[in-house]
Amino acid sequence: MRLALKLLIRDWRGGELTLLLAALIIAVGTVTTITLFVDRLQQALLLESASFIAADRVISSSRPIQPELLTRADEYGLSRTATVSFLSMVFSEERAQLAAVKAVDTGYPLRGKLIIADEPFGAGRPAAVGPKPGSVWMESRLFPSLDTRPGASVDVGAMTLPIAHVLLKEPDRGGGFDTVAPRVIMHLSDVGGTEIIQPGSRVTYRYLFSGAETQLQAWEASVRPDLPADTRLYGVKEGAEEIGDALSKAERFLLLGGLLGVVLAGVAIALAANRYAHRHFDHVAILKTLGATPARIDQIYLVIFIGLGLVATLSGAGLGLLVQAGVAEVLRPLLPVALPAPSAKPIVLGLTTGMVCLLSFALPPLLTLRNADPVRVIRRDLETANPSSLVAYGFGGFGTFGLMWWYSQDLRLTLLLFIGGLVAVVILGMLALLLVRSGRQVGLQAGSAWRLAIAGLQRRQLESALQILAFGLALMLLLTLFLVRTSLLSEWQNQIPADAPNHFAMNILPDERGDIRAFLDAAKVSVTPEYPMIRGRITELNEVLITELTNKAGSERRAPRLSSTRNLTATAVLPKDNKILSGAWFSPTSEVSEVSVEAEFAQSNGLDLGDELVFEIEGRPLTALVTSIRSVAWDNLQPNFYLIFSPQMLQDFPSTFMTSFYLNGDQKALLSPLLRQFPTMTVLEVDALIEQIRTIVAQVTLAVEFMLVLILLSGAMVLLASIQASLDERMKQFVILRTLGASNQLVRTSLAMEFAVLGAFAGLLAALGAELTVYGLEREIFDLDYSPSPWLWALGPILGAGLISVIGMLATRRVLDQSPVSVLRALA
Amino acid sequence: MIKTTDICKIVDTSEGSLVILEGITLEINQGQSVAIVGASGSGKTTLLSLLAGLDSPTQGTIILGGDQNITLMSEAQRAKLRGAMVGFVFQTFQLLSSLTALENVMLPGELRGDAGAGDNATRLLERVGLGHRLTHYPRQLSGGEQQRVAIARAFASNPKILFADEPTGNLDAKTGSKIIDLLFDLNADFGTTLVLVTHDARLAGRCERSILIEAGQLVTEAGDVSRAIA
Ligand SMILES: Nc1ncnc2c1ncn2[C@@H]1O[C@H](COP(=O)(O)OP(=O)(O)OP(=O)(O)O)[C@@H](O)[C@H]1O
Ligand SMILES: [Mg+2]
Repeated sequence: MRLALKLLIRDWRGGELTLLLAALIIAVGTVTTITLFVDRLQQALLLESASFIAADRVISSSRPIQPELLTRADEYGLSRTATVSFLSMVFSEERAQLAAVKAVDTGYPLRGKLIIADEPFGAGRPAAVGPKPGSVWMESRLFPSLDTRPGASVDVGAMTLPIAHVLLKEPDRGGGFDTVAPRVIMHLSDVGGTEIIQPGSRVTYRYLFSGAETQLQAWEASVRPDLPADTRLYGVKEGAEEIGDALSKAERFLLLGGLLGVVLAGVAIALAANRYAHRHFDHVAILKTLGATPARIDQIYLVIFIGLGLVATLSGAGLGLLVQAGVAEVLRPLLPVALPAPSAKPIVLGLTTGMVCLLSFALPPLLTLRNADPVRVIRRDLETANPSSLVAYGFGGFGTFGLMWWYSQDLRLTLLLFIGGLVAVVILGMLALLLVRSGRQVGLQAGSAWRLAIAGLQRRQLESALQILAFGLALMLLLTLFLVRTSLLSEWQNQIPADAPNHFAMNILPDERGDIRAFLDAAKVSVTPEYPMIRGRITELNEVLITELTNKAGSERRAPRLSSTRNLTATAVLPKDNKILSGAWFSPTSEVSEVSVEAEFAQSNGLDLGDELVFEIEGRPLTALVTSIRSVAWDNLQPNFYLIFSPQMLQDFPSTFMTSFYLNGDQKALLSPLLRQFPTMTVLEVDALIEQIRTIVAQVTLAVEFMLVLILLSGAMVLLASIQASLDERMKQFVILRTLGASNQLVRTSLAMEFAVLGAFAGLLAALGAELTVYGLEREIFDLDYSPSPWLWALGPILGAGLISVIGMLATRRVLDQSPVSVLRALA
Repeated sequence: MIKTTDICKIVDTSEGSLVILEGITLEINQGQSVAIVGASGSGKTTLLSLLAGLDSPTQGTIILGGDQNITLMSEAQRAKLRGAMVGFVFQTFQLLSSLTALENVMLPGELRGDAGAGDNATRLLERVGLGHRLTHYPRQLSGGEQQRVAIARAFASNPKILFADEPTGNLDAKTGSKIIDLLFDLNADFGTTLVLVTHDARLAGRCERSILIEAGQLVTEAGDVSRAIA
């Protein structure tokens, strides 16, 4: 024990441990940094995005739920409040308007803020509390349509209430077109007085909860079984479709990055430990001639191992904590929200990762040391002995798998990555060997530095192949992460383009179309073409009455029903972000009445191409043939339709029209005169929502970029470790060449070429591996549209050659400048 | 002290099995100095590693110290035996590169758990004339100096038998003869049995006995060194 510690300290002092220790510390450090930072960022993101539902959890129901279920939240230390929403006519002295009324309890909103103004469409400021009992706040566009102003009173049911403020933005307004009616909010205690809610009224009760995530989860587990079937309990990811998808994809990306970080760390440790074991093989043989038994050797290296592990994991975790704090500090001005304090979990995760990495990657090579044959001291021809073995690889694989699983808590993702990785390693390994072998033919004709380089690679075929594999793997992981990141970012950016319409006008009367367009044109606002819009429902499917069909969608509550009344439209142009999945979009020459059906709607109701549908619109029947099935990007904040008719089909019906346009901050004031002039028109403002989503996406993007940088760093470390690991062998070769009279220039060039060839091969393999992995990941995990990246095949080898020769030459520069003798002595 | 009966060493190579040593029977007494000589490739190193228990013979028995049959021992037992009674000096010195001269010499004592390993090592290093180089690493020492450290280390465990494989093979003649002097001085002081492999006639001549190996077989065992070398 004491001797082992002494040897550990002596090894450390002699510089033997530097690389292994550095690899370990950086591995633990990266994993800790990543998990810590991601943990904080995720907490912040959740907090920020919770504003989309004004709470952390919401129970929504069409009836009030039992008070006991609500008071149970108090036991878990959660805050709670409630809202009640219904549609009602609101009356001013002159006019009436259907409004979406929301009555809120004190404490609303639990997350996010209400933004109010003193004038309609005026400058906003956050409100500290919601409306007081006995007053209402109204959305800007209600003022022109009711022809009233702040301070005046409106009638809501049986109550007359003064308008205290203009409501610009409520956090949980959402972007759906189901809440087209303008908003009025009031205090919950006034609802009784309005006498609007009667048995049978359509009312939505929402109960809002917030608190610490662990408490929320415990509470959720406790109440979920007791909730009535028609209530819904959800968090922000399910509650806010616009960002839920981006959030979960970002989470998966960060997870993936973390996983790759773990793998890279493992590879770095394995390489360093292998080198250490290799160098120590002779030491062990000497120790054995001096009387050390194999058990003693195990004991010595176990103590060294544990000592190393303790030092490395503790300082790695400390380093991670520091780096993470530094990064958070640097990023602070960029982050719109304050990062919550880190939790203890990532630190435990970092420490465990370090220990497990060490156990599975470093221990096996160290334990093979006991097998070092003492005859080695005399018979140097046993030099080929390789300290790594199948057991070691098995250990490493097992450890990696366990870590990945534990880290991701996602068996599918882990299996996909692990098996993919394994296949990649085997195939790439064989290819690497093939490449090294085939290099000979090329090498023979070329100049002498080139020949030396190739000869160097050939002489150590297996090592060269392994090295190409290690480089290739590291490069591949980096490229993979980069590609997935690029796809994610471009998806997010395309989701809401900068000039996407942020206002929607509906209920435009046919004879007002021209006037409205002229009004907006005069203000230099670009307007999209008008769609007709009319409500109607399907009555017959292939000559069978809907009422006689068993409703297939009956069991799935969320599936769109065939028989519901829906918004219908007709257009010649396929709307943006819609894709034809089967059939064909309307041909301009077609004489037939056609309808295009949304894919989910078609699937859940068993509709197919060629089906004949009969609609009832305004009391009149309309027959149409299903000629295409379309997918719709529901989260693009554009008007989307389940059913679209071929153009002209709605001509004979008294439809209204809708359109959309983009207003910047300055143009916002146009809304007031516009609505005063065309009071029947409804304008939906989604600019605030788009802004809110952009903020979240910007943060998520930042998180993703940060992850990429961290992984790049640990990738570079792997490259460095593997170059270091091969350095001894290369240096011997260099000394021999130098002693034989080769010029420094020649040695340098041939070494650079050797690295470049290694790197180019590795880059080629990396491109292949990355292409395949990205294909799998984007399809299986990220639901992204995969597109091949041909440039990768050029970039990979160039990047590999450049990167590895630069790192390699930097790592060997110091040694190359020394005399052969001192190099020889250093190697002794 | 060392007694072998009919030892053979056969190794499997890609071209079939190769007989390296055959029917070696010999006896070496306590305190004797013996030189193993012979042409290159004749099997001297192989024989030495068998005698020292670094390797096992294919056939035959080797008994050290009167009753220790090393051919029946496990590697762990042989290691213990080596620690207790055997010392080594190698042609390529075999110092641990990450340890200083002093630490290298301390190692056998430390492995046995001796409390006075440090003092003993310092004394031995002073004895070989390196008292002023205690904290130097092997790479900072010349070949002759490294071999002196190796000799100090070999005597640190107070061995009964010292094995040396061409201890001067990597050194020039002058340094070599200094090393030989040192080896024999210490050998006399410690009363050690000395078995060394050498190509050097002078070195062989200083031994009491020479054993000539030819193509894996013991040809003569001559008290007369000049005949063996001739
Ligand atoms: N493990 C082995 N595999 C194959 N051949 C071996 C092995 N060990 C030794 N030999 C062969 O056995 C023969 C004797 O080797 P050994 O090293 O004992 O010779 P040596 O007498 O010490 O020679 P030198 O004076 O050159 O050191 C040599 O031909 C060597 O190649
Ligand atoms: Mg020999």
